[in-house]
Amino acid sequence: MDFEVTYTEEQQRFREEVRAWFAANVPPGITRTPSSLEDSLQNYWQRRELGRKLGERGWLFPMAPKEYGGGGLDVDHAIILEEEIDQFDLSLPPFYNSGGMLGAPSILVWGSEEQKKAFLPPIYRGEVRTWQLLSEPGAGSDLAGVKMRAIRQGDEYVLNGQKVFIGSANGTDWMWTLAVTDPNGERHKNLSWFMIDANLPGITLQPMDLLGSGEGGGESGHKNTIFFEDVRVPAFCLIGGENNGWKVASTHLELEHGGGGRIGRNRLWDRLLSYCRETRRDGQPLTADQDVRDLLADIYIKGEVGRLFGLRNFWLTYANQPKSYEGPQLSLYRKTAGLWMTSAILEAVGQAALTTDPTWGSDDGFLENQQRNGIVAMHPGGTADIQKISMARRIGIGRATREAAGKVA
Amino acid sequence: MELSLNEQQQMLRESVRSFMQRRAPKGTIVALQRSETGYQPEMWSTIAELGWLGLLIPAEYGGGGASLTDAAVLYEELGRGPLPGPFFSSGVMSALTILEAGTEEQRRRILPEIAGGRQVFTVAITEPARSWGAQGVAIAPERRGDRYRLNGAKLFVADAVAATHLIVAVRSGSGLDAISLIVVDKQAKGVSVRNLPGFMGWQAEVKFDDVEVPASAILGGRENQGWAALERAMERAIPVLCAYQVGSCQAVFDMSVEYSQTREQFGVPIGRFQRVQDHIIRLVNHLDAARWTTYEALWKLDCGHPAAASVHMAKAVTAEAHMEACNAAHEVHAGIGSSHEYGLTPHTQLSRTLFNYLGDPKWHKRRMANALAW
Repeated sequence: MDFEVTYTEEQQRFREEVRAWFAANVPPGITRTPSSLEDSLQNYWQRRELGRKLGERGWLFPMAPKEYGGGGLDVDHAIILEEEIDQFDLSLPPFYNSGGMLGAPSILVWGSEEQKKAFLPPIYRGEVRTWQLLSEPGAGSDLAGVKMRAIRQGDEYVLNGQKVFIGSANGTDWMWTLAVTDPNGERHKNLSWFMIDANLPGITLQPMDLLGSGEGGGESGHKNTIFFEDVRVPAFCLIGGENNGWKVASTHLELEHGGGGRIGRNRLWDRLLSYCRETRRDGQPLTADQDVRDLLADIYIKGEVGRLFGLRNFWLTYANQPKSYEGPQLSLYRKTAGLWMTSAILEAVGQAALTTDPTWGSDDGFLENQQRNGIVAMHPGGTADIQKISMARRIGIGRATREAAGKVA
Repeated sequence: MELSLNEQQQMLRESVRSFMQRRAPKGTIVALQRSETGYQPEMWSTIAELGWLGLLIPAEYGGGGASLTDAAVLYEELGRGPLPGPFFSSGVMSALTILEAGTEEQRRRILPEIAGGRQVFTVAITEPARSWGAQGVAIAPERRGDRYRLNGAKLFVADAVAATHLIVAVRSGSGLDAISLIVVDKQAKGVSVRNLPGFMGWQAEVKFDDVEVPASAILGGRENQGWAALERAMERAIPVLCAYQVGSCQAVFDMSVEYSQTREQFGVPIGRFQRVQDHIIRLVNHLDAARWTTYEALWKLDCGHPAAASVHMAKAVTAEAHMEACNAAHEVHAGIGSSHEYGLTPHTQLSRTLFNYLGDPKWHKRRMANALAW
């Protein structure tokens, strides 16, 4: 076994090249917590600009195929890019863009050659940002129960319906969604998957007022309701065949449920430990208090187990190993550990964890942010309960046959 | 990065698995629970001949010179039984202690005997009402010329009934770490051993009543060197013990999934009920947390990275995981799970026996925090 990547000389030279490029091209202050809506928009465009520059070099989605605008790099080079951008507290892509992470892999698996050529290069080169539109007021955990309709008329589909908990702040270029194309069809065989231009007439967007969209929250804490009123979408935008949308969705759901894995630093932990070292209570640092140390030990261990699950899934994916329940297990673990951590951190740190006040709270209100997001993160990509159901089916609990993991490549 | 076992390890796993199926099926495991020593002499000899007892002992001392991860592969499979007996106590804990603490002469004399299974060792650390730290060692032998005289008691000594020799931690000076390790032949006059009765397996009380030991029995030949050596041995031994517990968790998981598919109530397999599914999901999450913290610690040790924090974490996570995994399995199995014949209870008893052994989770978490220099 080997839990770390060992690099060749060529790869070490690549790291030097990447490091020098990032030093010259990552603008200072890019990871700031925006001070206003205007600042958030400015920061968004700063991030998009960095994304575009990365995209030109094939570094935005380093492992995506070169012929469709990706980097065509192997996993070792991709890890180097991730590790180096992580030094700036950024990830790839450096802005909220579920199209690249989830939508594009779905097109790679299910799209026609023409569709791959049309949709993938702008995503992989960082020219467009893409949001996913899945949940509806009546379809949350029961995603296959979506009601939005897409009825074929000539060379177009006409979309009508409403999607909720969508995207982030600052708008999007493209959207991808699931809609009913056969209103009389059987469940799971009545849906189709579309990639849609967000500027089509009939699409309106309304921001939601949510727990996650506090002042301390980043861009992704903002969510929207999106209304479709007679939106005419070219038939070319339907991916994977009419009424085959549920299968297409299985690809991004697998990825969103943690199937792709994750490598990287635990930034929350690093900041929490520094905070506890620097903050004094009753004359001594929090880290000198045995009760706080015990809580920190449990918080650290949860983070480590989550890191190891992410590393395992990452390896399973890139070593092409068979997968079963591991994706939803990572997702479940991160959700439940995150929620548990809100109470553990509050107990360790006290009321300072609840305020964004620059004097009495944590830097940038990062602890206050965790208090909100630990709760909010319980639902996106499927609730903890949904992850458990996925795991149970794949393990084969009470069933003779085991459900297969979604196809991700 | 490579998270699968290498070819040699996969072969080892297969041969241990097939050995266990042939020689230690469920009926044998259940029967062994009632034995005084926890092992059958014929099986002990076979395992010694296979080289598994001396797997971790360097070739120059008659062993297999294998890595800790190799040993973990063996112990994970033994843990699936779980096969009881002084395998870990002698072949890992004691062998590593002698390797770390012994003089060259002592290594050459003792280690081949351990590898060959002719002598069975165990380490005696804790005493009544005391902890697993150096401060817990209070027995102070009297030095009389070229002999020591021992009086006192050690408690929760694993496999002491099966052992032929004991490595006894004794206090030889006033500093906290002023500990020496003395090898005591169990046949020596004044040594008495008895298994502690109850919900624990093969942990004993060992009493020393004017036991005379030659001064040459001190490991390393000098006083007060014992604790540091014992710490180094424990750092390497603990993740192998964790692997044994991972195997036990895996068996309990497999058993629970199978039962969820075959046991019917209300006309359907019980695994169709989400409440039952929840128990098994809790179980597999604990199993995987134990597995990956354990194997990462083993990897760090095998490639010489600083591993103290990882080892403490693996021990804490695994002890809790083992207990929780068995609890979850009992929820799935209900009544039949408590029948000794069914085969779940040996795992459950093991999870309790090992929970505090070599330090409980809280103690290891605190030492992890110290190792990380918070």
